[in-house]
Amino acid sequence: MTQSKIENLSALVDGEQTDSKLLDELASDADLAARWQSYHLIKDGLRNELPDSLNLNIADAVAEAIDKEPAILAPNTERKTKNTPLWGSVVPLFRQGGQFAIAASVAVAVILGYQQFNQTTQDSDLNIAPVKAITGIQSGMSPVSLSQDRAVPKADVAEQRRKLNALFADHQQRMMLKTSDDKVQTNAESETTPEGEEQK
Amino acid sequence: MLLRVLVFCALLISIPGYTWQGKVIDGVSYPANSAEVWLQKFRDALHDLNFSISFVVTRGNAETRPYIWRHGLVDGLSMEHLSQLNGPGSEIFRIGDKVSFFEPNSVPFSLQSSHINGPVPLTFFESPIELAEAYSFVVVGRTRVSGRAAQQIRIVSEDGSRYNTTLWLDQDTGLLLKMDVNNAQGDLLEQLQVTSLEVTEEPDEYFDKIEQSRLPEISSLPDNNQLQFSWQLNFIPTGMEVIQKDRRRLASSRDVVEYLMLSDGLVDVSVYISKDEGAVQDGGWLRHGSDTILSLTNGNIMVTVIGKIPPETANRIAASVGPVR
Repeated sequence: MTQSKIENLSALVDGEQTDSKLLDELASDADLAARWQSYHLIKDGLRNELPDSLNLNIADAVAEAIDKEPAILAPNTERKTKNTPLWGSVVPLFRQGGQFAIAASVAVAVILGYQQFNQTTQDSDLNIAPVKAITGIQSGMSPVSLSQDRAVPKADVAEQRRKLNALFADHQQRMMLKTSDDKVQTNAESETTPEGEEQK
Repeated sequence: MLLRVLVFCALLISIPGYTWQGKVIDGVSYPANSAEVWLQKFRDALHDLNFSISFVVTRGNAETRPYIWRHGLVDGLSMEHLSQLNGPGSEIFRIGDKVSFFEPNSVPFSLQSSHINGPVPLTFFESPIELAEAYSFVVVGRTRVSGRAAQQIRIVSEDGSRYNTTLWLDQDTGLLLKMDVNNAQGDLLEQLQVTSLEVTEEPDEYFDKIEQSRLPEISSLPDNNQLQFSWQLNFIPTGMEVIQKDRRRLASSRDVVEYLMLSDGLVDVSVYISKDEGAVQDGGWLRHGSDTILSLTNGNIMVTVIGKIPPETANRIAASVGPVR
């Protein structure tokens, strides 16, 4: 990418130039396109026109994650006997064992349905304005569940439950697998580790 | 047995005469009978005593789960065993700093950790008085729990952003007899109740049966400390810090998520960022046991916060997700 091309691009973003050749190039050159995107982002930032909502490019992250996970995707036995990365040998067993154990408890979560916030409480003081929905759930009263919401098609409800269940199952796994080392790592930066650790 | 009854009576009757020495913890001196001294006594007991504890845990309106938990020092090596007594059974062993998991239908595996992260939060094994950053401690007084004299200590969230925890510690040994988690309204969300507590001179015979050479090798989880996300949390409750970072595909749904775990030692909170495919129409939350599950959509992503925190706090964390500037 030449300097003049970058300058042309900058001028294009500022609306000072309309060069059809550059536009064609933009469509075919991924590097140039990325630069074009970030220039626009910078421009919006400078003009305070950035939207409040987030539009992160998770797609790239997804692609990257998929690239990194052949061992997870295809945990066949042949492979396992060889030198599989350690992560690869850990993940499949969670999928079998951990998942079974968790499935029963997660099933309860879906029956409760999904509560809507009656009001946004993000600006309110934490001590005040308890969200009323809690009492509804705990006393077993029928909560406003998504199945009663006509605006949402049934398939979406199932999809949403599936997503939340997957996340909750993952959360439970991580709780179990949390180690004291997670703690030590961060503690070591600021403080000395507590005395008398019986590590060895 | 007679001796135990006598000791117990003596404890109950001679309260004023029962003095406890002040203690210096991490260079700070705390008065006798202060919550800090009790928490430290609890911590030391977890490290130094040979014990065998049976307890049950009830979370929200979920079914009560019974556990047995043993700790022993075998030739100076610290060993721990935690077993779920209902259902197909899952066993967790710790020998030194190797924690091995045995679960039905799965290959056993080991991780490196100096404690088992079970129903008793890890902070109580490590440095409980550091909780003072976000909580205040209140010594409530003496009472009777599980047939033993107990010291009641409240751990109160200072800004109300977390639930309150109450501990009942054994007057004699400092070990846990009961633990409650309540919300600000006082509703009981979770309870751990010890049903039997045995402290012995010698470690439990059970530990002799463990064939250490047959425990699985330690698997190392990937180190994701260098992982860079394009988003950040602009609100983290006082005393909490990011202790885990990860990007991976969920085992069950195949969704790819970016993940942060926040912890203040007492509670752990998971924050998930996934691509929103229009499945979640509006934000909402639900409660499962004592966990809050909250998600909201922001632009093209879905933010989900899960943990033992009030929904208001979960909402604040989720709403604070913003791009890295």
